[in-house]
Amino acid sequence: MKRAIPYLRRAVQILSFCFLLYLIIQTAFPLELKIPVDLYLRLDPFVATITILAQKEVILRMLPAFGVLLLVVIFGNFFCGWFCPMGTAIDFFDRILFREKKRRKAFNDQSLRRLRYGVFIFSLAAGLMAFQVMYLLDPISLITRTLVITFYPPAIFIFNHLLPKVQTLLPRNPIIISSIPLPLFKVNLFIFVFFVFILALGVVRKRLWCRYLCPLGTLFSIFSRLRIFRRTVTDDCTRCQQCVRECPVGAIPQETPQHYRQQDCVSCFKCLECPPEVTAFGFTTPSWKSTNGVDLSRRYVLGSLGFGLVSALVIKTNPLQTESGLKNNRLIRPPGALPEERFVSVCSGCGECLKVCPNNALQSTLLEAGLAGLYTPRLVPRIGYCEEFCNFCGRVCPTEAIRALPIEEKRLIQMGVAHIDKTRCIAWDTEKICLVCNEQCSYHAIVGDDKKRPIVKEEKCTGCGICENKCPVDGEAAIIVYSFGAQKKLKPEPEPSPNAKG
Amino acid sequence: MDHPAKKKITRRQFIKGSAAAAVIPLLGSELPFYGSLAHAAEESDLVIAKNGSPAQLLQAAMTPLGGMGRFVKKGQRVVIKANIAWARTPEQACTNNPELLSALIKMCYVAGAKRVAVWDHTCDNYQFTFSRSGLKETAQKAGADIFSGHGHNVYKQVEVPKGKKLKTVEVLRDVLEADVFINFPLPKHHFATELTLGLKNLIGIVWDMEQLHKIDLHQCIADINTIRKPDLVVVDAIRILTTNGPKGPGKTEDISEVIASTDIVAVDAYSAAFFKHPKTGKPFKPEEIRFVKNAVELGLGKIDLSKVRVKRVSAT
Repeated sequence: MKRAIPYLRRAVQILSFCFLLYLIIQTAFPLELKIPVDLYLRLDPFVATITILAQKEVILRMLPAFGVLLLVVIFGNFFCGWFCPMGTAIDFFDRILFREKKRRKAFNDQSLRRLRYGVFIFSLAAGLMAFQVMYLLDPISLITRTLVITFYPPAIFIFNHLLPKVQTLLPRNPIIISSIPLPLFKVNLFIFVFFVFILALGVVRKRLWCRYLCPLGTLFSIFSRLRIFRRTVTDDCTRCQQCVRECPVGAIPQETPQHYRQQDCVSCFKCLECPPEVTAFGFTTPSWKSTNGVDLSRRYVLGSLGFGLVSALVIKTNPLQTESGLKNNRLIRPPGALPEERFVSVCSGCGECLKVCPNNALQSTLLEAGLAGLYTPRLVPRIGYCEEFCNFCGRVCPTEAIRALPIEEKRLIQMGVAHIDKTRCIAWDTEKICLVCNEQCSYHAIVGDDKKRPIVKEEKCTGCGICENKCPVDGEAAIIVYSFGAQKKLKPEPEPSPNAKG
Repeated sequence: MDHPAKKKITRRQFIKGSAAAAVIPLLGSELPFYGSLAHAAEESDLVIAKNGSPAQLLQAAMTPLGGMGRFVKKGQRVVIKANIAWARTPEQACTNNPELLSALIKMCYVAGAKRVAVWDHTCDNYQFTFSRSGLKETAQKAGADIFSGHGHNVYKQVEVPKGKKLKTVEVLRDVLEADVFINFPLPKHHFATELTLGLKNLIGIVWDMEQLHKIDLHQCIADINTIRKPDLVVVDAIRILTTNGPKGPGKTEDISEVIASTDIVAVDAYSAAFFKHPKTGKPFKPEEIRFVKNAVELGLGKIDLSKVRVKRVSAT
């Protein structure tokens, strides 16, 4: 039984990772899965805490996360060691790339262990002030974003290249299935480098990122200090140091292996493989007391808090974040997005909307929305346009930064307005007949004049960007969508009855 | 005939034809009416069927043309170029009538087709167009494969030797390689070209559709039609879109007609009259639509309906 636990844990980890992959693959048309595809994010109490602090109202979708927190109070931190997909990836790479040396000299990680609390306090303070950069470190958001932005396009690339070879093997339909349009994300390299950096931290110590930086792990560790399900060691301990060596998070001190820091334990149960068989886990009375804990001085706590507050203020007063003339008017937010200032503080940059968008229209920002808006979604019409009968981005957003609107309401959201560059437009600039924009417009917002030149009707334009996307002019389109302030709701147009005689 | 894809098909058809020529006389004694059935019925070039359900209309329109057996032989691959460009519902008449498409597919299978594929290069996202128009479900229920040309890999670059403005273009490979090619248009209003008819429907076999607007849309429509002449044109005029075309939604009109023909220009010349000219208020004359005129100049068919054997039939 005890010997089976490590294998069981590995199996659960792999299953958990595969389940996340499955959910990400299912985050696509027709989006009819019974389980929410953003399940992992909805179960993430760190994202839940920060978004609720930033939004200052209860986000219903995020409430299940607090159930996980309750389980952590009972069973201790089981999530990091068993279910965290990011932890699985780190464990996997630690195992294949970074074999730890057999004997390492004592490593005083007091200051490093303090760091995670510093990071956590910093992010809480900053979250309160609506500065969301700390989402970048949230493991669930990070792994989802990494998988979507950096690994999904290469997967499609490989699929498209294998497709002709697979098709020749099929008895029916030789080579006629269309390849999938390759999804493209501008920030993929940055996110890839950051991911590799986190994996590379394993060269210093196993799971270094989980131990010393991960804010979700910190939240879990604070709550698991009161855990009821605890490790107990009888007095027959021989101090053989087996458990000290095996512990992947270094929660067992060398000098007193009978005790452990329950807050750091990830419940991997590796210490059960104890040669004198004196270690056991069971329900006991909870106690806040811990051995060899971190000395969080008042100065350190206040320092982190102040640093968080000041950074948030500095970023909030950046011209890109304010209503200054430098505001990016090509920054079009997805339909149903919260007003900009709240949007950047609630969006966790998980990339679910980027994955679900059927036209690859949503792109991650880098610095277009300022530092506070890092990795938030924006509509880039030249890459893809907002599909008329699609409201998927709102339906998959775990933090409700993009509200889930019914199709009919979404069709009336004005994200921006198209403007024609008459010096470049084919119809205005030459005598040719073009009117692609008029033909493509879903909302009758572009009409042709008597010379068949396009004119935009602002009161009908939703800024979906199909005109900019399909405009046949080379390079930048001759019709461009600009956003202006908050999204508006247009007046519904009376539908012509389908049976009216023309 | 100097087109590579056409040459290939011609050769294949030649072999099949010679095999048939050898075999049919042998079967002649057992099937005394075979020849007469196939040829005596071929009495017109353009058939207009009225009064009836979509399936009845199609049946009635095909019989005077010689039946589907004239076009689809046993074991052949059929490609239908439908009009599924927009994410609209069937009632809005921006996409083909599902019942008619289903009847057309079934008719091809009855005639002995090995595989029927329905193609379109959609303008809206293909997943939304296919599901909202209901045509994916329809086609699959009828046993056909439905494909969208959203991937670059299904196209092939071809020369357009007869093209006046268009010299090379990437078109759906399946259209070039199929044994039988059926054009299945839906007459619609179109702001840029006045109308969307049979000739215009073939824009949907092109990869870079928007670029054609940059060259000269009307001439390009005619030029594309020289690449592969459809073996059969079936016009879905059950309900047509008369305003806000081609995407709609706009006003619709129930014409309740199915037109079958082998001459794509004659079809367009006939169906243009469904619509009223915005300036004169009179029905469109075929010469008023430039792409039809350009197609006549390229010798794609007859614009003068008095020179075409037209037959009007009632389905019930």
